[in-house]
Amino acid sequence: MLALCVGLAGRAAAQAGSSVSVDATVVTVGMTIATLRDLNFGTVIKGVPTTILPTAVNAGEWQVSGSGNAFVIVSFTLPTQLTNIQALPGSTMPIAFTAASAIWRRATNNPVGGAVFNPAIGVVGRLGPPANPTMYVWVGGTVAPAVTAKPGIYKGNVIVSLVYQ
Amino acid sequence: MMRTLAIAVTLALGTASLAAQGVMVAPHAVFIDHRVRSGSVLLYNPGTEPVEVAISTIFGYPTTDSTGRIMLDTLMRDSTASALGWVQAFPRRLTVGPRERQTVRLLARPPAGLPDGEYWLRLVIAAQAGRVPITGVADTTAIQVGLTLEVRTIIGVNYRKGPVNTGVTLSQVTAQIVGDSLITRSKLERRGNAAFIGMIRETLVDSTGAVHAQRVGDSVVTTFASPIGVYVAMQPRLASAIPQPGLPRGRYWLRYEVVAEREDLDPTVVLKAPAVRDSVRLVVP
Repeated sequence: MLALCVGLAGRAAAQAGSSVSVDATVVTVGMTIATLRDLNFGTVIKGVPTTILPTAVNAGEWQVSGSGNAFVIVSFTLPTQLTNIQALPGSTMPIAFTAASAIWRRATNNPVGGAVFNPAIGVVGRLGPPANPTMYVWVGGTVAPAVTAKPGIYKGNVIVSLVYQ
Repeated sequence: MMRTLAIAVTLALGTASLAAQGVMVAPHAVFIDHRVRSGSVLLYNPGTEPVEVAISTIFGYPTTDSTGRIMLDTLMRDSTASALGWVQAFPRRLTVGPRERQTVRLLARPPAGLPDGEYWLRLVIAAQAGRVPITGVADTTAIQVGLTLEVRTIIGVNYRKGPVNTGVTLSQVTAQIVGDSLITRSKLERRGNAAFIGMIRETLVDSTGAVHAQRVGDSVVTTFASPIGVYVAMQPRLASAIPQPGLPRGRYWLRYEVVAEREDLDPTVVLKAPAVRDSVRLVVP
């Protein structure tokens, strides 16, 4: 741990009046975004839409940790189609997200009671207090396999981006 | 600083206990001086599996939309403050092993004759770990669906050449009680040749001067504080909740101030600037 701290240290020049010149990178607390769980629909039935709520145990989940009480801009890049990785190219399945497909919550790893938001729009979330500077984000969605959908594994990516101000 | 870094590492290790997959990025804001022309970002993998990381750069800075929502605008029409074309990050792709750390170097090659001032870009650290939870289908007629979650940490890189200064003007402060929430808006415009990095503080007082608490998430605070980065201009909308049983009928004042202070950044990189303040009246009928 000490080695890590030393590695992070930087140099800085003094401040003067309303102007300042720094001498190098200066470091503070880091930020971690960790995927706790992928979004897993499991086995679905042809012709039957399947929805996973953000409160479900198989919803996707991220944990953000960093500076206490910090605000972060949360945005998503969402797929509209999933690809069958075992079939010929072009075998896809639609996936949709609603205005209530995502939840964020400060400091508490439980989506029930969290703030619902539209992942297509994003949200400004806030980390917990210094004693527990974490934030959790959950996402669900709906897949609609066609009656003619080919068997196999359908795969896609959900990208969450966090911007620190 | 050592204490805060120790906390960061402790947090990262705590994350590992949840079998999480991701990387810790430190710092969350990089400041590069023209005389040095380089910087670095440390990546630490607190997990038990290797994490593949891709590094890229974009130009953009925080702004607000018509509703006051803070967002990162990456389609700026005016790119004269962009450092995107001459700051590069190395390596672009790397794998961070379990409990390992690696450094991403930032190297600047500014154009000759670059005017004094501050130039910006954003560093995008994309991390993907683990696998799609489905690795095979025993029943060849079955359909299985899984989505991999990728994370991108986007941090600011501010390149400073020569004397830099900043400031902010405050106008159009509004406040209203909507349900159990206190909603505020204001117009902030940057001054000087560098971004204003600071905080907005809001305090609600009654006609006797007594401070009334606000609730933010699970916390009750006497002053609501929000970090803010004013790169050009913005009109942020902030919301806090009034704890139950709510405000008694009467007149209140919202004290609104914007200060060049940030607890999460080294004070030496936060440019000094005069605080700006305003107050607006609220009436609870």
